[in-house]
Amino acid sequence: MSGIYLSDRPVRRAQPVGNSLMRKIQRACRMSLPEPDLALNLDIADYINEKQGGSSYDACNAIVKLINNRDTHTAVFALALLDVLVKNCGYPIHLQISRKEFLNQLVKRFPEHPPLRYSKVQKLILTAIEEWYQTICKHATYKDDLNFIKDMRRLLKYKGYLFPRIQAADLAVMRPTDQLKTASEIQKEQEIAQAAKLEELIRSGKPEDLKEANKLMKIMAGFKEDNVVHAKQSVNNELNKLRRKADLLNEMLNTTSEEDLQNNETIEELYGALKGAQPKFQKIIEEEHEDDGLVQDLLKFNDVVNQLLEKYSLIKIGNKFAASNINPEAISTQQIQQENGANGGALANEINLIDFDNDGETASPSPAPQQLNSDPLADLLGDFNDLSVTSGDTTNQPISLGVGEISLDNPFTSNNTSISAVNSNNNTTTNNNNTLDLLSRLGSSNNTIPINTVPPPPPAPQHNNAEPLDLFGDFTTPETKTVPQSSERILVNSDANLKVDLQLNRESDSVIKAKIFFSNLTFNQLTNVTFSLAVPKSMQLKLQPQSSSILGAGAHDGITQDAWIENALATSSKPLKVKWKITYTANGAPVENTAVLALPKI
Amino acid sequence: MGNSISRALGKLFGSREMKILMLGLDNAGKTTILYKLKLNKIKTSAPTVGFNVETVTYKNVKFNMWDVGGQERLRPLWRHYFPATTALIFVIDSNDRERMNEAKEELYSIISEKEMENVVLLVLANKQDLKNAMKPQEVSEFLQLDSNLKNQLWCVIGSNALTGKGLMEGLSWISNNTNKK
Repeated sequence: MSGIYLSDRPVRRAQPVGNSLMRKIQRACRMSLPEPDLALNLDIADYINEKQGGSSYDACNAIVKLINNRDTHTAVFALALLDVLVKNCGYPIHLQISRKEFLNQLVKRFPEHPPLRYSKVQKLILTAIEEWYQTICKHATYKDDLNFIKDMRRLLKYKGYLFPRIQAADLAVMRPTDQLKTASEIQKEQEIAQAAKLEELIRSGKPEDLKEANKLMKIMAGFKEDNVVHAKQSVNNELNKLRRKADLLNEMLNTTSEEDLQNNETIEELYGALKGAQPKFQKIIEEEHEDDGLVQDLLKFNDVVNQLLEKYSLIKIGNKFAASNINPEAISTQQIQQENGANGGALANEINLIDFDNDGETASPSPAPQQLNSDPLADLLGDFNDLSVTSGDTTNQPISLGVGEISLDNPFTSNNTSISAVNSNNNTTTNNNNTLDLLSRLGSSNNTIPINTVPPPPPAPQHNNAEPLDLFGDFTTPETKTVPQSSERILVNSDANLKVDLQLNRESDSVIKAKIFFSNLTFNQLTNVTFSLAVPKSMQLKLQPQSSSILGAGAHDGITQDAWIENALATSSKPLKVKWKITYTANGAPVENTAVLALPKI
Repeated sequence: MGNSISRALGKLFGSREMKILMLGLDNAGKTTILYKLKLNKIKTSAPTVGFNVETVTYKNVKFNMWDVGGQERLRPLWRHYFPATTALIFVIDSNDRERMNEAKEELYSIISEKEMENVVLLVLANKQDLKNAMKPQEVSEFLQLDSNLKNQLWCVIGSNALTGKGLMEGLSWISNNTNKK
């Protein structure tokens, strides 16, 4: 393979020495670039995030060398690359840039006394240091490891260097995100940080560092459990914060007028925070599915958030009436309960089940009318299968305590039993309002029981037991409240993921209104939900757009859609047949269902 | 580049320095080997939680020997010690036939790491004083290094940490086989 020839590959200069990371860095800072190659810079960030280990050390060393390159272009590119790494690689890079050696190298070309005019590179370096000082040195989780940055800034200041003012927008990028994280995510972050620190200590090899490395190793190896507890704790803290945010949003939605809402940043922010946190709920539930207290808390909280989001969007489009129908009181009561639950949190589930045994009357477990498709909950239920719930005198029981667990136990001990079974059970246990109550609460909060199968409200509420009844009212989903329950729901289709049913109303002799409801039976979000309908040629169909194409985890009636069928004569002898098709994406897999449905005569 | 200069200088003055990583299952004898080499003494030690580092000078070569605990929960942390390693000493308890497979798996998972591509591998079949111990030859056959390691220098040496037998041979093998690189 000697001689000169053009291969398929682009012609390059001799390959620079070093591994692919070094090559990438060289490439990102080559003089011939017109401007920083952001894509390549991000690629390097990804590479470091993936490789971990010594890569951040190597990268920082290479970059600081390039920053000190005589060519301004190269130095500027190197600084741009460093900026990207600091913003995207987290602690391992932060640790590297806060090393004394690195910082000394960084300011190698700074004269003892500040020049009259800073060079471009100097300006950029000062900006970078000031930015780090304002952000990671103040907010990072492990800011104590970053003290040398502060020292360097102080030293430069002392020497008379002036730091440029940093735009607030630039600072915001490196602020810690308030995003909700699951316990395993927190743990992972922690592990990465500890590993980076350990490697740094080993690399430096100074006796005191080695001592610390030994300590750190013990922590990393021996006290993993500690980390887990810590991670769980922080999840709880974050959830509490979110709950307060939900509270606040609710309050603001109630008090703020429509016009104010349009440009109220706080509300926007709260809304964003809640919306952003929602997908995480599901993840936390998946991870913590043994911790039933937490799961119950979260499911309820998720409902609250759903309601709030719905309310927000209703107000936003000016539908004040519908918004006020989303019972604000309900949310706040629930909120209080939430807070209680939150305080108890994991504790609550340790004490809950015990208290329910106080007076021997055993309630026969009420069978559930619904099959449940979600694994996490099914798992949970498995744990409680053997438990017989006893409940007689409900008056002296702390209601908020174990309700979740109770309802977990009874409704699902047997699946697929008919609705009538519930009703009969209902009769046999009329003296046991509590159980029924709970059952219905669970049904609505988990969104698994279709409305028409919810058992009738418990008879004769006990006066000193008003709270659970209240809650019962509160937990029914708001959508169903706003819809007049004038006719029965007709089940269109129900598969493993999605239940579709509709409600028919005859508006006139020739017009039928159909309201279609979509319910998610899983704890996964369903996306791209589209529903189409076809009517016989003799009729016209007016199909309104769906309220959304995304169906949140467990959302009961999460999407609604209105349709009017015209020219459907009431006198027609033949039953009205419609053809429907529904498509959606569950877990990344598209699903499609279609069939013909004969509507009952109305 | 810098490396080759220092290596050249090292050759001139006849002194070198290298990082040696000593790994192996728990109770293989790593810490005992380390202190036998360092102090020529048998130091009874509790299972290492964490690591020990000592510098052993032998024939003008400074060996920075890192002995990292081999308990199961420490093994995931081994990889943090990989960077800049010149030679890996993998210590095997030759008497513990039941855990031979475990040791083999750990060994392969170490040397398959990218950072360990270029290290020379010395396997110490330790505890040769025990009657039931596998002979170095047997250990070597069991590990199948022959067929699995194409680009790496490796060697299996029988050792006895209590008497120090095999340890010096191991170090001189390492220093001989890193010289040429």
